[in-house]
Amino acid sequence: MSPSLVILVYSLGFLLLVSLCLFGFIVLRRVVTDSEQRLFQRLYRAIEKDILEAVTAPDLERLREVASKYRLYSSVLTRVLLDYGQVISGDAKDRLKLVFDLTLRERCRKQLSSPWTSRRLKAARLFFVFFDPGESEILLKIFQDKPIVRLTALTSLFRVSDPAILEFICRAFEEDSGPTLRSYFSIMVGLGEKIEPYVRESLKKNLPLEKIGLLIELIGTVPLRTLGSELQSWSTHPEKEIRIKVARALGKLSLPDSIAILLKLAKDEAWEVQAQAVKSLGLLKDPRALDLLFRSLFSPHWYVRYNAARVLASMGREGIEKLKSVAAQEMDRYARDMSIMTLHELAILEEGE
Amino acid sequence: MAAAWDAFYHFFSWLILIYFVALNLSYILFTILSLIGIFRYQKLTTYVSFHDVFRLPLVKPISIIAPAFNEEATIVESVRALLALEYPCYEVIIVNDGSTDLTLEKLIRVFHLQKARRVFRRVLETKPIRGIYLSPDYPHLVVVDKVNGKKADALNAGLNISRYPLFCAVDSDSLLEKDALLKIVRPFLEEPDRLVAAGGIIRLSNGCTVASGQVGQVRLPRNILARFQIVEYLRAFLGGRLGLSMLRSVLIISGAFGIFRKDIVLQCGGYRHGTVGEDLDLVVRMRRHLHNMHMPFSIRFIPDPICWTEAPESLKLLARQRNRWHRGLIDALSHNIHMLFNPRYGVTGLVAMPFYFIFEMLGPFIEVGGYLVFLFCLIFGGLNYPFALLFFLVAVILGTLLSLLAVLLEEYSAYRYPRLGDILLIVLFSLLENVVYRQFLTVVRVKAFFDYWRGKEEWGRMTRKGFAEAR
Repeated sequence: MSPSLVILVYSLGFLLLVSLCLFGFIVLRRVVTDSEQRLFQRLYRAIEKDILEAVTAPDLERLREVASKYRLYSSVLTRVLLDYGQVISGDAKDRLKLVFDLTLRERCRKQLSSPWTSRRLKAARLFFVFFDPGESEILLKIFQDKPIVRLTALTSLFRVSDPAILEFICRAFEEDSGPTLRSYFSIMVGLGEKIEPYVRESLKKNLPLEKIGLLIELIGTVPLRTLGSELQSWSTHPEKEIRIKVARALGKLSLPDSIAILLKLAKDEAWEVQAQAVKSLGLLKDPRALDLLFRSLFSPHWYVRYNAARVLASMGREGIEKLKSVAAQEMDRYARDMSIMTLHELAILEEGE
Repeated sequence: MAAAWDAFYHFFSWLILIYFVALNLSYILFTILSLIGIFRYQKLTTYVSFHDVFRLPLVKPISIIAPAFNEEATIVESVRALLALEYPCYEVIIVNDGSTDLTLEKLIRVFHLQKARRVFRRVLETKPIRGIYLSPDYPHLVVVDKVNGKKADALNAGLNISRYPLFCAVDSDSLLEKDALLKIVRPFLEEPDRLVAAGGIIRLSNGCTVASGQVGQVRLPRNILARFQIVEYLRAFLGGRLGLSMLRSVLIISGAFGIFRKDIVLQCGGYRHGTVGEDLDLVVRMRRHLHNMHMPFSIRFIPDPICWTEAPESLKLLARQRNRWHRGLIDALSHNIHMLFNPRYGVTGLVAMPFYFIFEMLGPFIEVGGYLVFLFCLIFGGLNYPFALLFFLVAVILGTLLSLLAVLLEEYSAYRYPRLGDILLIVLFSLLENVVYRQFLTVVRVKAFFDYWRGKEEWGRMTRKGFAEAR
């Protein structure tokens, strides 16, 4: 055999061998993965059963036994603690927290400084589920971490209703800066009306505009109706973004006495504020806004016309009559087209209902 | 004369060798980076619940824009799939780009569409719109019927009509997995200020069963060409784009499935008319614009959100599709040639553009040149047999290894081929791919270069079998 042919045969043999090895590896990996998953499931069921028994047992001894029995199975135990820590509350949650304290807390604390993001992520999730006020400083660090860790922290906080978390979050919000700020908004929304006294206090402080804007947005999103009156002073703020946020928040709050502020904002010098105020007036469904909405249909700004038409369509017979009258006129074809479009869409959607 | 030929022969041999080594080293680097990326992604997403993402008030609504031209075979299944996606707030905009078949009629009949007089802001210039249709049964479905103006024009029309701050461009002959939007939008929550675009993975639906707009059982198709393409897609997406994404050098977000920040796209003037590679062109222009504006940004490829599409099963259709893709690549790169090796454009100018220019755009010429020189020497003598044989073997071995690694990447990432028989077949086709299939595509891409030079702007007609008959 010539050397070329030998090389050729060897090369083809090598390729075939590599392919077979790869296939063999895939088969082996699947077998191993399947058996690992079966083992995981079996262990999960066992830990789940023991932990549920222990958290409902009259004494804490059983809980300690379970913790010591499973402390070496950290990955399965983590999964069980996460699954149950997010759905149970009260005394049972405290007992579950004890299992976490006895088994994983120390390890998680170390993992929060790990160079591996996945470890920090796991630890962050557990720390938020089993929040301890004494560890606020550690949690504050999590909000300076990579975006995915912050996102995980956020999704965990949504499920946690620990009152101690409140103070920590508000302090962190006031001290923090940069791209993480938006994360606090989501957390605060998740905390609901409990956040009201903190928002009231924070609005009085000399915070940067970005933070004030977030707080105003928060009032509307939660919603915090008792803070509706606080918004009045911000409605004349020289910054356009703040006025837009005030208009949006007032719409979401839908307080009857906010109509005057919204009507004023609908005549604001900035069209963005007008558009938002018009949209918010629609949420109030107050007939006093009909005339202004009618006039807004003739605005030179597309978004103002668009929002005015939609709002009129949602205000019942009177609003539709206004739309019809604009649709019939010839003076302003932009206002006419917008009215016709809205009436048309309304007819189609009503048919579907 | 003989001396001149000898000098040319040696120069060309070395050129090919250097090109070849550089190309394969790049691909090996991408594959290694992809492996790292997949492991990291898998580990990280273990502790992120995509359904919890639903609950965040930060989640932005999305407009899905799907241009359709003569898609009567697949359009209904595709729209059903889009309407069944898991996402808190989105609208589906189907743009019928002057289809000459029954695409619009089918949509009107199945979704009970009615013509509406919709007013919209014409931010981007497009061909005239003949009608906008709404469905009384599906309030978030909008069908736009317009005069044919090609895909970029249709997407721009969709952008004009869209209402939301993010938009997702999809092909109307593709199927998105139910949680695809949730998965692709996650990076926008992580980096709301920086991320401007993200792309998902495209997989081939040939051979799979489709029910209620969702891919059910995943199997390999019987068609040999489709099998080759499956290997190729795995290598391109899992090995190539993920690797490039790790280097922050993603230049292509597939037109079949990509999500963009609308304000940035509008600042760039939307999709460019007169190009057949509007997806690549848009990303390159976005990068150029953001660099020029000194805005920090990121564009990412996510290996998990899956979009299924049908691959051509005949040589003619495959050649037509690849010809178009290559013309699109040449067009996008030549329109932005000043970015090439330009340090002002950072990693885009120094890594992404050079890679696509040298290896993707010029690569087929160098490869075909090599084949021609080989044939010439074979016929007229002077071939260095040991060198040629060794070169050929190294080429085949490296090419095959890269394809095999892509199979491994698939196994570690999505695990979509549960049958071992299918994996064995993919491995087999990875071995065979480098023999005839690769050479065929190289020739097609060289022809595309000449077609582009001649000013050919045709899309080329693609016929679809439809998902129901996919097997």
